This record gives sequence, C-alpha cells and structure tokens, in this order.
Amino acid sequence: MDEPPCKQDLSSSHVVGLSLCNSAPLLWRSEDLRSLRSQGLVGALLGSLPRTPRQNVRLGRPLLLLPEEERLLSERHAAAALPPADQDAEGAELVQEAEQQRSYEEQSVLALEDRKSALLQAMTSSHTSESGSVDEAQRQRLDALDQSFTFPRSALAVQLSTARAGLTHCPESRAFLQADWPIRAQAGPHCQARYQVFRDLRGRGFYLTSAGKFGGDFLVYPGDPLRFHAHFIAVCLSADEPVCLLDLLSVARLGSNVKKTVLLCSPAGGGVLYTSLQWSGMI
Amino acid sequence: MAEQNMTDTGEKFFSEILSPSELFAARSRSHKIPVRGQKDFFPNDSEEQRQRLEQSLEEHWSLISEERVERLGNLVQATWIPNEQTVELQSPAGKFWQTMGFSANGKQHLLPEEALYLMECGNVQVFHRGLPLSIQDGYERFLSSSTVTLQQYQVFAHLKRLGYVVHRFDPSSEPSSYARQLNLPPSRDRGGKQLKRKRSASPAPTTTSRLTSQTETQEDSTADRMEEDKSRHEENEDKKCRKSDMMTSPATPETQTAAQSPAEKDKGGRTWWMMDAREDQSDHQPASGSSRWHFGSISFPDLGSSERRPSRLAPPDPSLLPGSLAVGVCDVAPWRGRINLRKVKEQRREERRSHRWNINNDREVRRCRNWAEYRELQARRQEKRKGGPAHLWNREVTPLHNPREQIPTADLLEKIRVTESTSLVEGASRLKGSDKWRICFNVYQPDTVADFKKSNPGKPHSRMCVCSFNDPVPDLRAIKLLAFSSGDIQVVCAVVDHGDISFYTFKDFQIPTDVFP
Repeated sequence: MDEPPCKQDLSSSHVVGLSLCNSAPLLWRSEDLRSLRSQGLVGALLGSLPRTPRQNVRLGRPLLLLPEEERLLSERHAAAALPPADQDAEGAELVQEAEQQRSYEEQSVLALEDRKSALLQAMTSSHTSESGSVDEAQRQRLDALDQSFTFPRSALAVQLSTARAGLTHCPESRAFLQADWPIRAQAGPHCQARYQVFRDLRGRGFYLTSAGKFGGDFLVYPGDPLRFHAHFIAVCLSADEPVCLLDLLSVARLGSNVKKTVLLCSPAGGGVLYTSLQWSGMI
Repeated sequence: MAEQNMTDTGEKFFSEILSPSELFAARSRSHKIPVRGQKDFFPNDSEEQRQRLEQSLEEHWSLISEERVERLGNLVQATWIPNEQTVELQSPAGKFWQTMGFSANGKQHLLPEEALYLMECGNVQVFHRGLPLSIQDGYERFLSSSTVTLQQYQVFAHLKRLGYVVHRFDPSSEPSSYARQLNLPPSRDRGGKQLKRKRSASPAPTTTSRLTSQTETQEDSTADRMEEDKSRHEENEDKKCRKSDMMTSPATPETQTAAQSPAEKDKGGRTWWMMDAREDQSDHQPASGSSRWHFGSISFPDLGSSERRPSRLAPPDPSLLPGSLAVGVCDVAPWRGRINLRKVKEQRREERRSHRWNINNDREVRRCRNWAEYRELQARRQEKRKGGPAHLWNREVTPLHNPREQIPTADLLEKIRVTESTSLVEGASRLKGSDKWRICFNVYQPDTVADFKKSNPGKPHSRMCVCSFNDPVPDLRAIKLLAFSSGDIQVVCAVVDHGDISFYTFKDFQIPTDVFP
C-alpha cells in the first residue's frame, strides 16, 4: 500500500490549525502540536490531562501560543484558522445517533467475545484432564452465554472529543482550512523588541518559553525543554531605552538565585545585541 | 478503488475519532503517568541523549493525544442553554453536586466554568442542539467576558484540580462587618426560607387597634406574673428587710406601670418585636429577614435622675428572656443607694478645702503689698509647680511634655509621633469601584469538602483576583478596594503567565513598637 501523501511533507509544509478563544490562539489537534514541536516552538499546555485530570503536574490540550510564536507562524505561512462550529448541521443528530448505534452493536459483539475467551481460559486452566467431557461442558456453557448475554447500554464506551469533530481531515488540503492566519498587530516598541529577539534566538536553535515567574521575557533552553534545563533568562530592551540600575540589580540577583544567566537583549542594526550579567567580586 | 483507499487512509490519518474496537479496548488503559527522569545539562550530539529525547517525546505525545473514553452510565447528561449561560442537567448529578452547581426552576444547573471542568474530568457530557460538545466547543462557547474569561478559568481549574472548592464571588451577598458582629441572620434571596424568629407572644402585624388591645392583655398577664413573682421575690427580699415595701397591694405594680409615662408604658409591657411590626407596617417591610431596632422608642429604665423615683421595676417581657427564665419585680431602692456616690465625695473634699484653708493665712501672700506683687508670687509658684522656665510655659506654644511629670514610654512616643499609622481598609469606603481589579472567586479549603453545604458555605479561606504578568502591579488604591470588598478574608492575586500560575498576596503589617513601659 502506498504511503499516504500527507505524511511525506509533514514537517516541511504542515499548516497548523489555530482557533481563538478569548483572543488567545489555541491549538487543539495532536498532529498540530507535533508539527509545532518539530518547528522548535514549544507553547504552553492549559487543559486537564485525560488520563489523570485531577493533577497539575502534567497538563493536556489545548496548547497556548506566545504572541511571538503566533507571529512567527503567520510569517512562515504555517498557520491557518480552524473552521468555526457548524451552525446548521442538519441531519447531524441523526448521523450521530446512527453512529452510536453501530458502535453499540460492535461493542456488544466484542464484549461477548471477550467474555467467552475469559470463560474458556478459566475452564481450560482448571480442567487439565479429561478432554472429551471438557469440550462438551465448554460448548454447553458457551451456548448458554450466547443466549443469556446482554450488553447494557450504560456499559457502552463513549468518546468525549477534545478537538471539534470533523476537523480531522488531512491539513494538506488548504482548501479546507480557511485563509492564512493574519498577523495580529502588537502595540508598543517592547513587543517589537521581543519579537526580534525571539526570532533571532529561535534561528540559532534555542527553544524559548515564557518567563514571567523569573522576572524576564523568555526562558532560553539549549535543547528541547523536556530534556534540558534553561540556561538564560532573556530580558528584552530597546537599544535606546534607559534602564534603572536597581532593576538590573534585582533581575541579576534573581538570576543568580535560580542559577541562570541573565541575558539583556536589544535589537540593533539587523541583528540583536546580547549582554550577559555575571555576579563577580572586586577584581 | 486504490485511490479511494488512499484518500480514506489519508483522511483517517489525522483522525482523532476512535473506532468502536478502540473504544472497547480503552477499558484496559493504564491510569498511571510515567515518571520523568533527570534532565541533562548541555546538549551534545550523543546517541544516548537523542534516544532519551525521543523516548520522552513519544511518551509526551501518547499522553497528549489520548482521548477521553467513558462508560455511558458514568456520564451525567446535560444541555447547554446559551440564553441563560448555564448548563442544565438531564440526568441526576453525581458526587460533584456536593460542592458545585445550583438548583433553579426545579432542575439542577451548573455554571459554565464548572461544567467545562467536569467535562475535562470526564464526568459530564454536554449536548447542544442534540449533538455532544467537544472540549474545544466548551472552551469557545462557555468562556467569555460575560461569564468567565480564559485566564480566570485557568485559575479555577488549577484550584479545582488541587481539590479546593471554588465559587464565584458575589459582592452583594457578603454581609458587612457590622452585620457579622451583630450575628444577624443573612438575607437569602434564592428562594430560601425566612428564618423563624423566636417569639413567645408574637402578634400578626395588622391594625394598630388590635395591637393596643393585645398590649392590654399583655399587661394583664404581666400583672398576673408579677403577683406570682412577688411571692418569690418576697423570700429573697427578707434579707433586705424591705417587707414594708412589699406589703403594698398588688394594685401598686399596675398603677406603677400605669403611672409611668405613656412612652415607657409602651415598652414596659410590649416586646420589641411588636414595635418592630408596627413600624414595619408604616414603613415598607423589607423582603429579607433583617429586623430593625428603633432605638429611639426602646427605653431604658431611668433610675438615676431625681425627677422620677420609681421604687420598682416591672419585669421584662418573657419573650425577651431566654428559655423559661422568670424574673420578678425588681426593687430598686437598695441599688439607688449605691449610685451617684462619687459626686458626693468630690463635694465633700472641696468643701473641706475651702473651709480649712484661707488664703490670707499664707505668709508670703501677706508680704505682698499690692496686686502686682501678688501676681508675681502666683507666677513664681506656677513656675515651681510646673518646674520649667516661664518663657517656655507661658506662651501659646508650650513644650510637649513636662519632664517632671510621669508618663509611660509608649505614651511619650505617641506624643512625639509625626505620622499616623493607618490600616489597609482606612478610607476604602470612599473609593469608587474599578472594573479592572475585581474579586472573582471564593476559595474554600479542601478538607472541608466532607461537610460542605452549598446553602451555607461559611467563611472562605481566601478570595481570588485574577491578573496577568503583563498587567501593572496593583497600586495602593486597587489593593484598598480589594481588601475592603473582601472584608476580613485575605485577597490573593493569581497571576497567570501562559500556563503558569503564581499566587501573591498583600498583607497588612504593623511595625512593632519596641517599648517596655
């Protein structure tokens, strides 16, 4: 069988589907998250993890993008809007009911088979001798099971979808996904500085996440955050912006407490100027 | 045929919908999360690191892409009602009903953020127009600025996952600190029952004439009781040898009460509740259960003034007394003998002084030949008494404190203090509310879940205000507003930063005065 065409150009031209929630860009489909990670963008998970929803250590979908990540995707034409909910889905209710009925029938069959095999296993493990009579007894019990077995409706396994159903077509068909994601304007020179620093560092192969807790703009990882600790706290400043010395002291102190180097980043010329802060004694 | 196969598989490649066999197989899924190992410091291009990275990533994707599968019997069915912005339950609620949801129109409802959280936990399946909603639909429909924003929902879900009970904050239903001090019953609007006030003789609030007739009956019964109590009181009074007073006819108490001013008569026999009822007739009775005490009409017996000298106090209305306590007539004569003693003492002392001491007996005064010398003598004496030079003490601006006078150190420090210490809520009632800084949630401790009652949740552990790291730090005005609207419960600012939540709180602090008096 031929390989499906989508898989071949997955990492190169995969278009990621975004949807807005309260003006925040969210990713919902697992494949979109995978493709995003392969582009070196991490994002932040917001939802409960389906397997263990009552804990905060590991979270699940949706994934929230930094404004810089969103802008980067827009510039690369790698993001598109997911279609909104289908308002007039006539007949969808009937389709869904029919599908649930079909699922129920299939699951009943599977449940019966499962029960039979469990029974068989129990019987063969207990009766090791007397093969003749065992077969008779087995057949009788299996027949009884066939007749008396019922699969209650309440035992039907049902899926609670994370992403909206119907969006799971191959994203390569750009005709399906609507127009390219627009670049949403971010006001302020600080945002501009942030984006330039983000783009530069990403271009050098670093992974970046948000660093509000550390008093900076980004946390800079040398590799994937799953496997490495962050090395830098990046603080973005415009080149001509005056900085209070006390602010520098506080951010340097914070950095030394968490064992990360503070990086002052300013876009200048075509690139970005980096200054690292290091606490040293009198020389 | 082959092409059709290809498109089919192409479509199904990114499908997240599980087949029935996959759904069935989901019963035997593990419920454990793999533990993350230690991280590396620096990436080198070693095979080992690459393998570990791949393994971590695969683990990550398998967890992330797992879909929620639940037995239909374990799911509570519900419908989303966009007009009311609530979720109405169609099948009976489960264990979560103890801390979440509310009843309205005979049906069980959930708030949108509660419904979304329960959807994420796999307890509730919400339908809209006959179709089940996905988690994405839930986020997009339930979260908005009119219900709960995405950031607020993040904080809500974070706390709920830790086990806290989180309710929306309603500023109008919080009792003021004064109401709490008086322990007034809270007014309940949500179809709650009115608290029954304990009344023994409670009249129906009808016409005034009926009330007066009841007053008379009240007084008669009071009189009866006074007779009974009088005999009891007699035994007590034996010691005080006031038999003569007691021997007066039973008619006296009645006449006493009758002789009192009409205003007092009203209060002596009647209960406060009756006054209340009459007042409420004329005024518009509030729907809530709060009672109004009209202090102008409640009289306290006047024992001290010399105009009226009643020797007896009528017993209070039994409805004001706890339980079956019965109090008799009170003879006030012995008590009156003990008041106003101080004044007498003062008078005596002054009399003594003026009688004994004649200023002409002072030798120095006799030496003065004229008024000027006498005035100088007085000035000198005053100086000596005060112990300080005249030019300091005889002007408008005098020193703060005479060193010869005794004073505790704390009071002295109080005298020289320039700034006044103030509390956080001072002046906060004058501030107007702001849209930006609002308290969103009440948070109750997880260990109270077992006895938690939605109708009477009690005092919350803290209140949440949600903001983000991009917002400015709350200024003093905002903090004052938050502290004031919260009452005596601490306000915690939950700062949301792209998935990370940090909690900060500002606490009132008193600089200790290190003083040993």
